[in-house]
Amino acid sequence: MTTNEAKTNMTAEQKLQKLRELYADAPEIGKAALKNGLAMLTKELAAPGHAQTAGRIGARQGKVSELTVFLPFVPGGAKRLRGFLELLEGNFKAADAVGTVHDMRFVFVDDDTKILFATAYDGDFDPYIEDFAAKIPNAMDLWLCNFEGYPGMRNPKAAADWIAAHQIAAEAWYVNSPNLTAAETRRLEKVGTAVDEFLDKIG
Amino acid sequence: MATLNTGSDPSSDIHAKIRQFRELFADAPEIGKQALENSINTLKSQASDPPPPIGSAGRVGARLGKVSELTIIVPLAPGGAKRLRAFLRILGGNLSQGANLVGTLHTMRFVFFDNDTRLLFATAYDGDWDTYIDDFVAKIPDYLDIIDSAWDGWPGIRSPGAKDYLASHQITAEGWYVAYPDLTVAEILRNQRIAKAVDEFLDKIG
Repeated sequence: MTTNEAKTNMTAEQKLQKLRELYADAPEIGKAALKNGLAMLTKELAAPGHAQTAGRIGARQGKVSELTVFLPFVPGGAKRLRGFLELLEGNFKAADAVGTVHDMRFVFVDDDTKILFATAYDGDFDPYIEDFAAKIPNAMDLWLCNFEGYPGMRNPKAAADWIAAHQIAAEAWYVNSPNLTAAETRRLEKVGTAVDEFLDKIG
Repeated sequence: MATLNTGSDPSSDIHAKIRQFRELFADAPEIGKQALENSINTLKSQASDPPPPIGSAGRVGARLGKVSELTIIVPLAPGGAKRLRAFLRILGGNLSQGANLVGTLHTMRFVFFDNDTRLLFATAYDGDWDTYIDDFVAKIPDYLDIIDSAWDGWPGIRSPGAKDYLASHQITAEGWYVAYPDLTVAEILRNQRIAKAVDEFLDKIG
C-alpha cells in the first residue's frame, strides 16, 4: 500500500511528530500517556520487523499468522454449537491433527447472534484452509454448519472464500516468538525436557 | 423394572454421549448431519479420553494448562478509531518492544469492526487474569493508556476503576485450544536458548 510505504519511509523523528499531532486532540489520559511513553515509542519505531500479510487476508509476524472472523449463526445454530462444545469438553484433537494451529478461541457475541473465532496459526491463509479441508473436513463441517451461508468443506474453494469474506485483518498483531511454528515449539519442548533429564543424571 | 445404569460402564457412557451428539444434530443443516455420521467413529474413540485441563483464568476468561485467553470487545470513543488506527499504522503494526516487556504475553491482536465503532482486543497469556493485568499496569502503563484512550469510557490505567472496566468488557471463550498448554512464554524462550546451546555443543564435539 502506498500510504504504508510512505509511512515506512518516514524517519523515526517524523513518525514521532506525526504521533504528537495525532494525539493533540486526544483525551487527557491519552495525551499524557503519549508524553510519558515517548521513550518506549522511540524504541518501538527503531525495532526491526513489521507486520506482514498472511496471503489473501490476515496479518503475519514471522511464521505466525492471525485469523479473526465474526460468523452469523443460523437459527438454532448458537444453541447447537454451545451444546457441541460442551459435549467435546475442550477436546480439540482435530486441531492437533492439523498441526499448524497455535491456539483458537470460540467466543459467543452480540446476544448469541454471532461467534468470534480467532486463531493463531502457521503460514499463509490459503494453505492453512486447504490443510483443514484435507485433514479434518468433518470436524470443520460439524462446527461451521451452524453459520449462515457455509458451503461445506467438501467445497474447499468456496469454503475458503466464505471464511475470507467474514474475516477482518488485525490492524496490529504481536507474536512473542514469531520464528517458531507450533511444531517447532513442541519439538523444543522435548529438547528442553531431554536436557533437564540429562543434567539431572550427571548432576 | 430394569436397574438403572449408573454410568460406570465406559461403553454405555460412550453410547450415551453419541446419543447426545445425535440429538443435538437432529435438526442441523444437512452438511452438519452428514459430518456427524462421518465422525461417529472418531467421536467414539475419543469419548473416553480424559478431558483437557480447561479451567478459569481467575476473574474472567478461560485457561488451558498454563495459557489463558483474554477477549475484550469495546465501543470506541468518537474519533478514537481514527486515532488508534493511525497510531498502530505509524508503528507498522509492531508493538513488540512494549509487549515483550510484559513477559507473559504469547500473542495479541487489535481488530476494528462494525464500521470502526468497536474494537476487538484479544490476547493469549500466562497464568491468572489479575496478575496479568497487574503486569501490564506495572510494566507498560503509558502504552496501555495511549491505546485505551480510544476506548469509550476508559478511566485510565491508574484509576481504581480500570480493572473493572476491562473485566466488564471481557467475554469468556466457550472453546479454547492451545497446542502447547504446558509452556509459558518464559519456558518457550528458555527452550529456544537450550536448543541453540545444544546445537552449538553438538557442533563442537561433532
